[in-house]
Amino acid sequence: MRTIVLLLTGIILSAVLFPPEWYSPRLRFELSQWLGVPAYQSSSAVTASPATMTAVEEACPEDLLGWRDAQVIEGVSIAASSTCSADNPYAIAAFVLGTNNVSTDTLMRAGLAPDAIVKGADLDGDGDPDEIHIRLEVAELNGGSPDEQEPVLQYAIAPGITPGIWAFVPKSFGMATENFESNRATELLRLPSPAIRIEQGDRVLITLENTHYMPHTLHFHGVDHTYLRADGQGNDGVPMTSELPVMPGEARTYELNPRASGTAYYHCHVQAQTHVLMGLQGMFIVEENRPDNILQTMNIGAGHVRVVSQASRERYDQEYDLHYSDLDSHLSNIIQSTNDPLAIKNWLHGGYNLTTASSDYYTVNGRSFPYSFRESLIVAEPDQQIRLRVLNAGSTGLALHTHGHKTTATHFDGVALPGEGQVTRDVFWLASAQRADLTLDTTNDGVHSYGSGVWMLHDHQGRGVTNDGIAPGGNMAAIVYREFLDADGWPITQGEDMNMFFDPAFYQREGGLTADSEFTVSFFLRIIGFGLALGLVLAALLRLGGGLGGGLKRGRE
Amino acid sequence: MRRFRFRLSLVLAAVIAAVMAPTEAQHVHDDHSGMQFDSSGMVMNHNPDVLPQGCDAISSDVSFTVHAGTDHALGEIGRIFGYSQHDFRAPPCSRVTIHFHNDDQVRHQWMLHGLPRYLYPQGMFHLEAAGGQHVMGSFIVPADDATYLVHCDMAQHMEKGMKAQLVVGKGSTDLWSVPGVTTDFNSAADDKMPRGTIMLLLASVLTGAALMSAPRR
Repeated sequence: MRTIVLLLTGIILSAVLFPPEWYSPRLRFELSQWLGVPAYQSSSAVTASPATMTAVEEACPEDLLGWRDAQVIEGVSIAASSTCSADNPYAIAAFVLGTNNVSTDTLMRAGLAPDAIVKGADLDGDGDPDEIHIRLEVAELNGGSPDEQEPVLQYAIAPGITPGIWAFVPKSFGMATENFESNRATELLRLPSPAIRIEQGDRVLITLENTHYMPHTLHFHGVDHTYLRADGQGNDGVPMTSELPVMPGEARTYELNPRASGTAYYHCHVQAQTHVLMGLQGMFIVEENRPDNILQTMNIGAGHVRVVSQASRERYDQEYDLHYSDLDSHLSNIIQSTNDPLAIKNWLHGGYNLTTASSDYYTVNGRSFPYSFRESLIVAEPDQQIRLRVLNAGSTGLALHTHGHKTTATHFDGVALPGEGQVTRDVFWLASAQRADLTLDTTNDGVHSYGSGVWMLHDHQGRGVTNDGIAPGGNMAAIVYREFLDADGWPITQGEDMNMFFDPAFYQREGGLTADSEFTVSFFLRIIGFGLALGLVLAALLRLGGGLGGGLKRGRE
Repeated sequence: MRRFRFRLSLVLAAVIAAVMAPTEAQHVHDDHSGMQFDSSGMVMNHNPDVLPQGCDAISSDVSFTVHAGTDHALGEIGRIFGYSQHDFRAPPCSRVTIHFHNDDQVRHQWMLHGLPRYLYPQGMFHLEAAGGQHVMGSFIVPADDATYLVHCDMAQHMEKGMKAQLVVGKGSTDLWSVPGVTTDFNSAADDKMPRGTIMLLLASVLTGAALMSAPRR
């Protein structure tokens, strides 16, 4: 009897003490959905450990290449970027003129392929090209590797935070990293997928060159396009209804000839519940047709538009693209946990369950606070009209709040609102995939603006201003009046010392995100405990067997 | 074809000019001379005739025709992209010519790292072919036995199979996770339980059993 009790105790103890590192991946994943990340993360061979980047960095690194300055490249006037980090002006010049119309030198400095954006004939004779051929590739950032112990091709959304990401990127050339020794992605490879600008009436071809190991498509949400291409093939990018997805190594061209202007959206439509959340989503803007229209066909990382269209010039002093989105590390870390695309596919399909998931990182223009302060500040002067094109590409709603200002909505989902429908408020609610064009009027009249300052601009839902629940973080940006901006582009503030937010340790959850390696004391204690319990079971079994044998023998006698 | 040859001779002339003027050689990458760059692809640091230090003459000519794309991924776990050949061999001081054919509809690269930097800016030789295109280039390998990394540096292409090695002479050491040649660094550690862990488990089991079987008073 006592032996049976011991046997049962042994079995229970062994079950409890069995190291979770040895659970099946499926079970570990299910557990992680209930208990949080560590059980699942510690299983992975390649683990995204925020601890990999520990150096405390400068809040605003110096602009060594002079990318912030106003400049003229190949005749293209590029406005100064007032924020700390700025887009590569050579890429902007190539986006304006077309990569087929700039010198090799400009192209090399831009990092773009010669056919990334090909601009052709002026079809309506109004002085600007109307044949546009855009080529997009797909890049995986912070991905896994069969050899490395940390994510490869890194792109940090905030200090030390490198979730796995898929993004549409302009067609480029050469190395994907800054150099051979570096593990950091070039400035073209980042979140969000670039904001794309075309003109109403343009004949646009967009080729998806699928450089990724998963099938993808392009779907143009809110952009006028035919369901079928001229050759009868699908043009909507939906694998179920329109066409088969673009397989790895293959390319496919979509045709657009939009009759209406407006702020729209593009995204991948393959397994959209996960692919969109992984980052395959961008803003798509159709500008009003104007003579001699100058368009910056792509805005890398969205944000400040340094070469604005004619229509915007007529009514606005400045223009900003604001792309809001979120990431779920339970989803995005899957690509870091294995190098097997089939396993990744299975996790995405049957492992990850979006209905029981929730996002933990909230981004504006692909970064979270404090990095959002480097590039997504709206730098204003008094008495300006500033156009904000806002896309909520996140999985939940966005309660966009402007401190010190009430903005006026002129367009929803790209459609102009009639005069009396143009509401003015300080919180705009945008559902998933909705767009709003907001006018920020910096006239100090007590309604539109309360005057100069550093005014926050953020999602008013609490989680939106955190990095995995740690504040301040998330999609926090600010409207900063020039007198409150220092020469480097960093806001002059009177509150807390912001340097502490640039320490990755600040955003490390206690015992959370840092994954346990297999060789920890607790792992070995568990092994010993499990072994002892297993020994107990074995010995009890032996004794039981012996007892039984003995009993039988006795019975026979 | 004639255009290509003309371009090649331009590239050649530029490389020679760059090497003849050592002070300028440092800036080859910056002023973008010594390269082909157009819609068919890119050739960087093409060098058919300048000898590395330690080589008296070109020892031999070695030529490879390499096809790249998803069709060449070996049927192994984690391979989506690949080359028609993942293991290249060449004698020291030989001139290696690569004919690089891209069978996919997207870009691919044949990028080699670790060459002497005084001759090859950034220590690399780089071929990049646009979808369906073909580029070629040559380089002269140094006199030492060494193994060089060859890969496609596009996001995840090396990780998913576009990794190869060039073994010069006896080579130095095999690289990890070269498809068809070596195993993955991570999978090895992942699949096998470390010996120490097994010993610890066994010892614990025996101790548990011994404790259980110990005669009771």
